[in-house]
Amino acid sequence: MDQSQLRALEALCIQEEMPFCTAACPIHVDARGLMACLAKDELREARKILDRTMPFPEILGRICDQPCRPFCKRAEIGDPLAIGPLERYCVSVTGTVLKPPKLPIKGGAVAVLGAGFSGMTAALDLSRKGRPATLITARARLGGSLPDRAGALLPPEVFDQAEATLKGYGADIVKGASLDRETVDSFLEKYDVIYFDWDDFDRDLLPFSSGTTDPVTLALEQKGCFGGGGVEGDKPFSVMHQAENGRRAALSMERYLQGVSLTAQREKEGACPTRMYTVTEGIPRASEITAASPIDGYTAEEARAEAARCIYCECLECVKKCAYLQEFQEYPKTLVRKIYNNQAIVQGTRSANRMINSCSLCWQCTVICPNDFPVAEVCHATRQEMVATGHMPPSAHAFALGEMEYTLGEDCALIRHQPGTTASRYLFFPGCQLAGTYPDTVERSYTYLTQHLEGGIGLFLSCCGAPADWAGQSELFSDVLSDLKTLVGQMGKPTLIVACSSCLAIFGKHAPDLEVMSLWQVLDALPLPEIRFDIPKTPLTIHDPCTARYQEGVRASVRSICAKIGLPVTETTIGAELADCCGYGGLMQFANRPLGGKAADLKAGRSTTDEGLAYCAMCRENMVGSKTHMAHLLDCLFADPKKDPLTRARVGLSGRHEQRARLKARLQSTLWQDPAESSAPHRAIRLEMDDEIRVLLEERLILVEDMQKVIHQAETTGRYLHNPANGRRLASFKPAVVTYWAEYEPADDGFILHSGYSHRMQLPEADS
Amino acid sequence: MSTFSFAEATEWRCAACDQPLQPAKVRVTYLNSVFNVELMVCPACDFILVPENLATGKMLEVEQLLEDK
Ligand code: SF4
Ligand code: SF4
Ligand code: SF4
Ligand SMILES: [Zn+2]
Repeated sequence: MDQSQLRALEALCIQEEMPFCTAACPIHVDARGLMACLAKDELREARKILDRTMPFPEILGRICDQPCRPFCKRAEIGDPLAIGPLERYCVSVTGTVLKPPKLPIKGGAVAVLGAGFSGMTAALDLSRKGRPATLITARARLGGSLPDRAGALLPPEVFDQAEATLKGYGADIVKGASLDRETVDSFLEKYDVIYFDWDDFDRDLLPFSSGTTDPVTLALEQKGCFGGGGVEGDKPFSVMHQAENGRRAALSMERYLQGVSLTAQREKEGACPTRMYTVTEGIPRASEITAASPIDGYTAEEARAEAARCIYCECLECVKKCAYLQEFQEYPKTLVRKIYNNQAIVQGTRSANRMINSCSLCWQCTVICPNDFPVAEVCHATRQEMVATGHMPPSAHAFALGEMEYTLGEDCALIRHQPGTTASRYLFFPGCQLAGTYPDTVERSYTYLTQHLEGGIGLFLSCCGAPADWAGQSELFSDVLSDLKTLVGQMGKPTLIVACSSCLAIFGKHAPDLEVMSLWQVLDALPLPEIRFDIPKTPLTIHDPCTARYQEGVRASVRSICAKIGLPVTETTIGAELADCCGYGGLMQFANRPLGGKAADLKAGRSTTDEGLAYCAMCRENMVGSKTHMAHLLDCLFADPKKDPLTRARVGLSGRHEQRARLKARLQSTLWQDPAESSAPHRAIRLEMDDEIRVLLEERLILVEDMQKVIHQAETTGRYLHNPANGRRLASFKPAVVTYWAEYEPADDGFILHSGYSHRMQLPEADS
Repeated sequence: MSTFSFAEATEWRCAACDQPLQPAKVRVTYLNSVFNVELMVCPACDFILVPENLATGKMLEVEQLLEDK
């Protein structure tokens, strides 16, 4: 990611855009923040918000004509917030809390002719910027037409306060000035820059023709002269218009004095559109709370209640759904910034690595986001970059990649024509996880397919390479895919019948030249098998896997199959193209085990009934637990009458590892009648352990086979430690990079495992 | 370089040599970093004990730190 890519990505996420009220406010008062403070009765903090942005809050806060109000999002679900009356409440019960700083004096002779509210604002802003202004009015007081218009809403002392404020910032105030055209003409000489406030200055006194006013800069045709305020066309008088014009003019005048562009970057000045996206669905309606006494304004209680109706407009739509973004407390805009910074680190700790490796690459956020923010793409590309530059932490994906290699190796991989045939029109591709989870079901579904499809249906036990892709291992991934394509080619390019949505997505995206079909769509077109388990009476909640997000046809076939077999099903609260990942996607659960668990819980929590139905092996593996009953659809169709698909135990990492190899060995002998190959001697070691130890091994990503290897090595060499007190043994073995340790004890015809652990630190090679 | 000691009295004995373990300096390495630590080792055959709490505690911490460098 380079800086321009970062900027482009950041611009997609509108979470930091102004809420509707602030954007519509000509001076961008943080009304959302104000509402939050008022709702909590934090009056000082509320006042600070006004002091920070408003000129003379004691005046403007009391009488703002709230042009923001029609834009308030609350209007969709009730009435818009009474922002003006709430500001009035705030300034009536607080004094000034915060005084914006005054910059060092920079010189320049500045005059403001007319002391209406726009002139006052211009004089205030310029004086604060270090350009003390001379504010000149023919009237005996400040405010132009304002005091007359506002009447009792403005106590007279607020103008005294305003005067004191202006003087505090170094402004000079001349009241009761006698102004004629000649005097004004002399001002053109005397001052470098002049603002004319049309609310208080008589245009007839201009010594030049006023001409047109530039709407962006408020510059008049006369050099160094600016004008604004007063009544706009036939619109009613607006005090906020005065404030906006005064502020706008002050910025132009400051730029004029600096000799820089008057027009650059002024799009967000004044009321402007916002790209903020706020979903109001599900928020209860609420009507406006009005003041019982309109003259006195809100009571404390009324103000609190009205402010509490604010829905604090923001987006965070993706964060509301995604366990990963919630876990790291980021929204995509902040997330990509962190990723960018992480990648820029040359020396030091790249502390965002784990975050980058924890995204499930599921694309849910992209579907949710109004601007399709591609978090998955960013995390994926960053992983590829980390691998390419040698910055990928070796342990992050080692286990999953090891399992992939094993699945592709001779222990598990198999590609054969249907027994008794020499050509294949189809090739059944169950995928690595389904083969490991339900080998019996895979076998029965294969047999079924061979009975119902013509032209020969081969079997292909392998892996699509998704783990390599998710891990950012581009080279490895393309090797896996090209080997796979070669093998399929050698079979005569049959059509792959793919059971797993992840494989299907991988082939669709990266091997478009392969002919592929979804197993579900194939089954949906065939006469379905007789169901051999007790179909539940209450509906099962269907959980779509995240990788079926863009597979509408697959999702439809699954539902159609359920209907045909009479399996009652219902939908999740969030599914289909919005489905969550179960924690397997993107190798989330390997790079971040606790988060994987949370993702699975979140997905399971979308159920609308007690029992669930998955059609991805990993979804079921991750969601099924002591409390959740979850079936796999293939297991329902081809159920082993002895095993209830809803309550079959979780298989686990070691179980899947074992079963993949056993499936190959078994099918080779049952279907193709090959002589059984002898398996590695360590596999013959019988190992018993408590469930607790099984869980511990899973958590530590250690396979039972790793433990068998340690024990085999220890027992054949005699190199182990021994604890005479309890008869246990402790030994280690390092097949490749990781050193595994097993604490065990000999038992009748095998061993009892008491613990297993591993480390990647290398010990000196012991010379035995 | 200073040596951290993780040597602690232990009931484990080397089975092959029938010896109690004794503290000894060991050079452990990971990703181009070298650490001198003291661990319990068989004085006869140099079998090094990495106890579970070390492997899943301090050692893991350091491994992950180095991986993020
Ligand atoms: S609901 Fe609150 S944050 Fe949203 S536009 Fe209205 S005042 Fe602003
Ligand atoms: S886990 Fe999925 S929804 Fe969450 S950020 Fe990653 S791709 Fe987006
Ligand atoms: S959905 Fe997420 S990424 Fe998209 S704008 Fe909202 S917060 Fe940003
Ligand atoms: Zn020894």
